[in-house]
Amino acid sequence: MADHQYGARRRSVVKGALAAGVSAPALWTLLSACGTKTSSSATVKIPSPTTPVTWPMSKVNEAIAAGQKPKAGTTLRIYNYADYLSPRVLKDFEEKYGVNIRLSTFNDADEALTKVASKQLKFDLYFPSYDSLGKLIGADLLRPLTHDYLTNYDNLWSSFRDPWYDRGARYTVPYTIYSTGIGWRTDMVPDDIAGMDNPYDVFWDTTYAGKMAILDDWHTAMSMVLLRNGIHDINSTKQSDLDLIRTQLLDLRKTMHPKVTISMYTDMPAGQYGLCQMWSGDAINTPYYLPKSVSPSVMRYWFPPDGKGEVDNDLVVLLAQGENPVAAHFFINEILDNSVAAKNFGFTGYQPPLNKFTPSTLVSDGYLPQNLATAVVEEKDFKVGFPLLQLPPASDAAWHQVWQEFKAGG
Amino acid sequence: MRSPVAWWRNPWRKPWVLGAVTVGYLLWSLLPVLVAVLFSFNAGRSRVTWQGFSMRWYYGDPLRSVWHDGSLHTALTHTLWLGVLATAITIPLGVAMALGLDRWRGRVPAGANLAVLMSFVLPEILIAVSLLFVATVLVSPLKLGTSGQVLGLVTFQLSYPVVIVRARLLTIGRDYEEAAIDLGASPFGAVRRVLLKMLLPAIFASAVLVFADVIDDFIIVRYLSGDSSTEPVSVKVYNTARAAPTPALNALTTLLLAASLVAVAVGFLAYRWFTRGEKGRSLDVFAGEA
Amino acid sequence: MARADGRRQPPGSRLIWPLLAIPGTVWLALLFVAPLYVVVAILFGGTDPILREPVPVWNPLDWDFAQFTYVWDHIVGSQPFFRPALVRTVLYVTIATLLCLLIAYPVAYFTARFAGRWRGPLLAALIAPFWISYMMRMLAWVNLLQTDGLVNRTLSAGGLLDVHVNWLQGHATTVVLGLAYGYVPYMILPLYAGLDRAPTAMLEAARDLGASRWETFRRVTWPLSQTAVVVSLLVTALPMLGDYFTNDLLSGSPSTSMIGNLINNSVLTPGQTGQAGAFVLIILVVSVIPMVLYVRSTRSGADVMS
Repeated sequence: MADHQYGARRRSVVKGALAAGVSAPALWTLLSACGTKTSSSATVKIPSPTTPVTWPMSKVNEAIAAGQKPKAGTTLRIYNYADYLSPRVLKDFEEKYGVNIRLSTFNDADEALTKVASKQLKFDLYFPSYDSLGKLIGADLLRPLTHDYLTNYDNLWSSFRDPWYDRGARYTVPYTIYSTGIGWRTDMVPDDIAGMDNPYDVFWDTTYAGKMAILDDWHTAMSMVLLRNGIHDINSTKQSDLDLIRTQLLDLRKTMHPKVTISMYTDMPAGQYGLCQMWSGDAINTPYYLPKSVSPSVMRYWFPPDGKGEVDNDLVVLLAQGENPVAAHFFINEILDNSVAAKNFGFTGYQPPLNKFTPSTLVSDGYLPQNLATAVVEEKDFKVGFPLLQLPPASDAAWHQVWQEFKAGG
Repeated sequence: MRSPVAWWRNPWRKPWVLGAVTVGYLLWSLLPVLVAVLFSFNAGRSRVTWQGFSMRWYYGDPLRSVWHDGSLHTALTHTLWLGVLATAITIPLGVAMALGLDRWRGRVPAGANLAVLMSFVLPEILIAVSLLFVATVLVSPLKLGTSGQVLGLVTFQLSYPVVIVRARLLTIGRDYEEAAIDLGASPFGAVRRVLLKMLLPAIFASAVLVFADVIDDFIIVRYLSGDSSTEPVSVKVYNTARAAPTPALNALTTLLLAASLVAVAVGFLAYRWFTRGEKGRSLDVFAGEA
Repeated sequence: MARADGRRQPPGSRLIWPLLAIPGTVWLALLFVAPLYVVVAILFGGTDPILREPVPVWNPLDWDFAQFTYVWDHIVGSQPFFRPALVRTVLYVTIATLLCLLIAYPVAYFTARFAGRWRGPLLAALIAPFWISYMMRMLAWVNLLQTDGLVNRTLSAGGLLDVHVNWLQGHATTVVLGLAYGYVPYMILPLYAGLDRAPTAMLEAARDLGASRWETFRRVTWPLSQTAVVVSLLVTALPMLGDYFTNDLLSGSPSTSMIGNLINNSVLTPGQTGQAGAFVLIILVVSVIPMVLYVRSTRSGADVMS
């Protein structure tokens, strides 16, 4: 009896498998009726400080008319990193204009780009860096800015008002400036990292195995390996450079067991580890997250004294898919305002490139303690330092493959 | 006094070891949660150091408390709404399917059976990734956001009521239905008036299980989420825990726990009311017993 | 038309059953079966040149096997850097599942046999974790396992020792224990249901005949609970295969990544989405084997409930 039932069950499973197998290809004819997204086929321009780019005005997305006011009761959708906009600034904007702000966050730039490209989420503002600008404009995702709304625009440093990655500032407004260096706590790391010949070597020093972290950003982490070896072209397309990165990065993973994250600004103050690759804004932010029992004087940040390290700025762009471009312009203008930017800076720790915030007075104005003065980015750093640029598609794929191998664990 | 060896060997002694293991397990299982609930009332920003009692993270803090921070209380309401929607669709669909598949023979129901079995057994990430592809790569009615999340959740949960109700159907057998038909009821009437009433505990149990599973779901709702207004509590906790969490997160999860307890209490009371006067009802049905 | 037991069936009633089952069947066909084909079409498709988003290819004759070959080569080829994650997944899931069994069996047994009047509250306490969000339980452990958290403080025995283990940085132990903690409630209930059904009379007979507790367990209880054990092992192990968030929360390091992490890292990365499809199909194929086991173990009709 049990055998008969078993046989009957097995036969029905086999029948079912046949039915499913026959129906699947039939379904694909149905599926091909569902369209797929069409993609743009223009070639991509890659801006760099030596080859500035003026982007063409979009034929598809027009700039909005000037002179409008944001409508109360509407929603403004912002897409940004976590903890990268002060909640106080958002609340103040909401109260001032009666607009409801909805902030969505992403963990890494790749994921963000995919969600933005799907166009389903209708974000108004997005905070990328210039390394994805070519892709965003090439795929017609951005709306040109209407500068009539940006009355605070001249608060920006003059060198940022007409940047090399967007001549004429048609699509972008600078948001923050930062450098990438090494952060550590003197109470957990006895070595004098700043005094070393090659401070980047400390990331391979097994004394700190299991007690350090690197940034969860493929380009930032991999460029650090190049800088360790004295290679200044951090956007290299050479295979030999990539092989070097691969060897040393895998060696780092095997011997050091690093944490790979972007939460250094909370983890290091909490004592999770004492040494990490760090963005300057996170370093400036650490005193806020330190427990009361630990003095902010233990925090340190190192950036190459000759200025030959990674220096970048983030931007804010207006997405064409958004439904509230007027409020979006008002928001951009708001964060260019000096007092609002000060509040934002106080929360995020990332410098705004505005005239009122002269790097030389940041310490004396009390924004950060003296021991973190090296985390301040100056205007001249941008002449000497290296920005992270967009890579050509083949190189981009190759670099991502190495990063994928790294993240797969060994 | 008997020797320890004799005590150990006595087959009729009380099961102290098993009892101790059970108590130990309960403590291991529930204590961390109690600690998390405790720290939601912390006066300071730490989640590990007690700094005094305060309701700051529930409604006190004007920026970051659950009451004032839109993304936090939206997560809570969205979670409960997903639970209600998904359960309301899954249960009728699943019960009907259980009834139909039990009696229908042929290739198509065999294929449907296989599909139910596969969706029951396969890891959730399969459904999540495949539906994410449909939502983002194809131009289809499936969109990121609440609608996509509900569609994905129902697909994933559909096998639960089918399996549970079919098990109960097997135990009930055909006798009652055939008696009703012999007494003059139509086949549909027999189902409606006799069978469904007898299936009520199993339907209830599956509704409870589906609701609990949906409000706890992570993979599907994360991949199919839209902007922050469609992030349920599980996604919010995951995103915030990897950035800079405050005790507001503990407060949010405590509130969800409270909402679940209310739902359980309501469900339990409703179950007792529906099955009043019946013999043999017990909590066993929620453990999957027929 | 006569049925097997000889009763007549009223005419026109046979339509009701297909009608009831069709909505659910159509739902599963459209939202479960068809999307699996979309995964295949993306895996064997291409990518758009600018954003490197996936472009699916529907016709099997036009399929491009490059992405699949890339994944396959890096599992079994000369540079198998995906293989460690797959091996780790099997290892972690096996150890965590066995750990769950070790914990769940005594608890389920106690509840089924010895709970007496405490059975109701005990069952409620065992069902409770289902109502406590998985994320909340993991978050609770993240808080406890921080370097200045309660675990280290307790282990330091109030200042006697100085325990500063960094539990949350790339330790396989933490991830396996986390998986066990998270999934053990899924195992207890099916085990309890199965053990509850085992006839008490047999156990008492064994004891009456002089068997010790251990012998009773080994020769009577354990064989009787085989089906329940197999079912609960599957119900616990299979969801663990797709887990990636436990690893993300309890260990920020690539050294403990599982196949779920491979999928999660590549599914939204431009140019690597097709590879995510490959990993998804690997999980599908690997899960079919336990599924066959599950069908065989639940072949008797009364045991179809898991």
